[in-house]
Amino acid sequence: MSRSRGPEHIVPVHRFLWVLAALLALLAISAGSALLKLGAWNPIINLAVSVTKTLLVMAVFMHETEARQLTRLVSALGFIWLSMLIGLALADFLTRSPLPPPW
Amino acid sequence: MSAVVAVEQQYDDPVQQREAATLGMWVFLATEILFFGVLFASYTICRVLHPIGFAIASRRTDMPLGTIETAVLLTSSSLIALAVRAIKLDNRRLATWLLTGTAALGVSFLVMHGFEYFHEYREHLIPGIDFMQSGPQAPAIELFFCLYYFITGFHSLHVFIGVSVILVLALRVARGSFGPQRHTTLELTALYWHLVDIVWIFVYPLIYLIGRSG
Repeated sequence: MSRSRGPEHIVPVHRFLWVLAALLALLAISAGSALLKLGAWNPIINLAVSVTKTLLVMAVFMHETEARQLTRLVSALGFIWLSMLIGLALADFLTRSPLPPPW
Repeated sequence: MSAVVAVEQQYDDPVQQREAATLGMWVFLATEILFFGVLFASYTICRVLHPIGFAIASRRTDMPLGTIETAVLLTSSSLIALAVRAIKLDNRRLATWLLTGTAALGVSFLVMHGFEYFHEYREHLIPGIDFMQSGPQAPAIELFFCLYYFITGFHSLHVFIGVSVILVLALRVARGSFGPQRHTTLELTALYWHLVDIVWIFVYPLIYLIGRSG
């Protein structure tokens, strides 16, 4: 198994600050877009912004870009299980139709 | 004095030991994701079943305060990331201050949330204790606020635990328990804090932002 044995990578301060600025800008986008009448796009934009924020936090703050493949895989697992839980539950509730009695 | 890490016998070296600890932390965080995930799944189904009631209920929450709380948590996440960086560079003084700042932002989040709860109490929006709403959407509003208290309540509990651990770590950093070779505990706590932040990143649009444009 190959692993890097060099000195630990130190992330430059400006990268953290840029990510914070991006997170706050994304927060402004979600708050601002929620006030506009966009219909079905409102929840889509909000969810997309949340996913982008999460990826930024995980990639930089949680050092996922420097992590081993195994760690990355395990860190994705919780989210994958959650999407299965919500996806399958919705597949049930969204496809229910009232069954009229046959008599 | 620089803290030196002891390598347990099952590991080859400190790097492998640290990687194993990080992996274990992520397994724990996956269980946390599913803990909150059940609440998010219930929320999704209830919102699909009662879209209008949820939109009306969401408008009763305090969006400006929710937005400030989100900004506070995002900032605290960057502070703890900087604290881990500082300890890797052996800057214990800076790390102590950054950890204290993170905890202070966590406390301010809890105080703001306390004000929100108090406001909702005065508006008779606490199901089971003091809930007085009328109209055809009242049951859906009650459902929304039930989920609201469970989700934000458990989240606040996680923030409280995080703040307590971070304060203890700030004290230990100041005493010189951590250094460039020994900071796994700090890194794992930071991972926990970032996850608490990520949970809130999803809570914010789900609780505060629906039905705002209508």
